[in-house]
Amino acid sequence: MANQGPTSQTILVVGGGIAGVTAAVEAAETGYDVILLERGPALGGRVAQLNRYFPKLCHPTCGLEINFQRIRKLKNLRVVTMASVADVKGDKGNYTVSVNVAARYVNANCTACGACAEATDMEVDSAFNYGLSKTKAAYLPHEHAFPMRYVVAPEAIGTPEADKIKAACKYDAVNLDDQGETFDVACGAIVWATGWEPYDPVKLESYNYNLSPDIITNVQMERLANHDGPTEGRIVRPSNGEPVRTVAMIQCAGSRDHNHLPYCSRICCLGSLKHAAYVREQYADVQVDIYYIDLRAHDKLEAFYQRVAADPQVNFIKSKPASVSVDGDGNPVLHGEDTITRELYERPYDLVVLATGMKPAASNGYAPPMSVERDEYGFLVPSLEGDGGIIPAGVAAGPLDVSMSVQSATAAALKAIQAVGQKS
Amino acid sequence: MTLAPPEQAARKYDLNFARWVRDNVNGGEKMSMCMQCGMCSGSCPIGTEMDHGPRKLFMMIRAGMKDEVFNSSTIWNCTSCYNCTVRCPRGIPVTYIIQDLAAKSVELGYVKKVQNARFAKAFWWSARTFGRTDERLMTAKYYWSGGLVDFVKRSLGNLTIALSMVRTKRMHIGAPHKIKDVKGLRAILAKAAEIDVRESKGGAS
Ligand SMILES: Cc1cc2nc3c(=O)[nH]c(=O)nc-3n(C[C@H](O)[C@H](O)[C@H](O)COP(=O)(O)OP(=O)(O)OC[C@H]3O[C@@H](n4cnc5c(N)ncnc54)[C@H](O)[C@@H]3O)c2cc1C
Ligand code: SF4
Ligand code: SF4
Repeated sequence: MANQGPTSQTILVVGGGIAGVTAAVEAAETGYDVILLERGPALGGRVAQLNRYFPKLCHPTCGLEINFQRIRKLKNLRVVTMASVADVKGDKGNYTVSVNVAARYVNANCTACGACAEATDMEVDSAFNYGLSKTKAAYLPHEHAFPMRYVVAPEAIGTPEADKIKAACKYDAVNLDDQGETFDVACGAIVWATGWEPYDPVKLESYNYNLSPDIITNVQMERLANHDGPTEGRIVRPSNGEPVRTVAMIQCAGSRDHNHLPYCSRICCLGSLKHAAYVREQYADVQVDIYYIDLRAHDKLEAFYQRVAADPQVNFIKSKPASVSVDGDGNPVLHGEDTITRELYERPYDLVVLATGMKPAASNGYAPPMSVERDEYGFLVPSLEGDGGIIPAGVAAGPLDVSMSVQSATAAALKAIQAVGQKS
Repeated sequence: MTLAPPEQAARKYDLNFARWVRDNVNGGEKMSMCMQCGMCSGSCPIGTEMDHGPRKLFMMIRAGMKDEVFNSSTIWNCTSCYNCTVRCPRGIPVTYIIQDLAAKSVELGYVKKVQNARFAKAFWWSARTFGRTDERLMTAKYYWSGGLVDFVKRSLGNLTIALSMVRTKRMHIGAPHKIKDVKGLRAILAKAAEIDVRESKGGAS
């Protein structure tokens, strides 16, 4: 088809994590019309679930809040939550995208007063806390949610609880008949920033994730350490709420492994070093053992590794543990070979953290329907033959940390602007 | 600089050994993929019964420690459970490599020194001759392979066990029992050996 030039200069961003938010804000601040779609009830993606950022141990909410303020000022940026893409048709410059919006059951009248949550006793698993706790069936996604609006869990719909929730709202914000909606968007370029999912720890059979609540994953550790998390930030044994005296971290849990994720997720080593710092901040007399194949603190992050490694209570053991069992007292026990001392070990711990990797969400049925190739691991690469109107950003494009995701998002915003042409 | 302890100073390194393993041992071409993570040794159910685990054995191959590798108990104590192979993150057929190293150690004549290898030889002699294990003759042959002194010492040492085995009909005296079709079994074994020669990378050079 001959290129007739763009019929739409709108830029669509799919995925409202740190990458998608950045791309949307950057593009909108140059004057382009931008629509940002987020599948969940609030923006922020996975970083909203992190406790602190390596290497400075600063709070992710801070950077997110700055971005939310930028969004509030932009009249040409439209944010749609609970939204995902059903179909993409057309070419660069003139796409038609079908958008599905799932029911939230709460409309824009919501003042986040919380009366609905108080009205019900029904609880559902908290996905935000990675299943470590329950949340009310009417809930705020998290304390800094954008938009600051409650959600009613679909499980409550059709039960008497839903009626209690509705009756409690003084602002007529609860709409139990919400069916969601579908609409089409015309746009000239699409930034695909659907991010990642934690690798499923149950697949790591020999680590027996389901055998003990004291075997957790790194993303759960972020929640455990967060003041807004299931324990109000106290890092304790999930089985009994007792303080931890010994903690083991298992690096490359399912990463660089041809049975699982063959690639290195790049951030898990730093993540575990950060977790060692969390634990040490809370306990003076704790022992943290990090089991590794080799530690990868890429480029400038070496300094953070050195800082944590200087702590005599943090030990580094060169070994990929073979298995985790649970002893008679309910403690998780690590088994393996220390490849430096060449000893076979069998060591009980209070808490075992599996440093699982990032699996591209795009590999899970959320890939853009066209024009973008995937690499052998499921990350998106802009197709060289394609028309260049669909641009991956953030972890959808490769395993990146936040600063690299933001760089890739800014680059994607620029490419999207180039794709739709100079502002007319 | 401190000197290496005498036994290390005297150690012989064959710097072509890793290459030889790559070219001659089943699965050897994958060995360079090993990242020394320790998953295999940690997963081995009889790791405590091995002088080295698979990981260390692979490092020794890289280092050229040919005699130590072929004399190690690892290649003989492996039960072929495939735990290591299934879990190896780099997809290395650890079990095949270990099995073929054992076969090569026989071909290269290392076996006399290694107890388990002598035992394996006695086992196969019994299997080939009678179509089954004859506890008494197999054990005798195994003890004998260690020399007269070993034979007498170990036979006497296990006399009580042997007698109670006879009493409970676990071991019998008299003419050895044979299976019905020993010839048929030998044909099967010969065929297996033929396939092995055809499929493997060829004998030890
Ligand atoms: C344990 C752990 C700790 C970490 N700690 C740090 C740290 O301290 N510092 C650091 O720099 N990095 C850290 N990271 C990495 C960091 O989490 C990522 O770099 C970051 O999340 C990438 O953001 P993103 O926007 O690309 O993806 P995401 O955060 O995954 O956001 C993607 C968004 O897209 C949405 N979405 C998905 N599919 C669709 C769809 N089809 N339609 C619409 N929306 C969709 C999702 O709901 C989500 O909101 C850590 C990672 C882990 C695993
Ligand atoms: S599990 Fe595989 S990669 Fe790891 S040490 Fe053993 S052979 Fe090498
Ligand atoms: S196959 Fe052999 S070396 Fe591998 S785990 Fe089993 S017994 Fe150990």
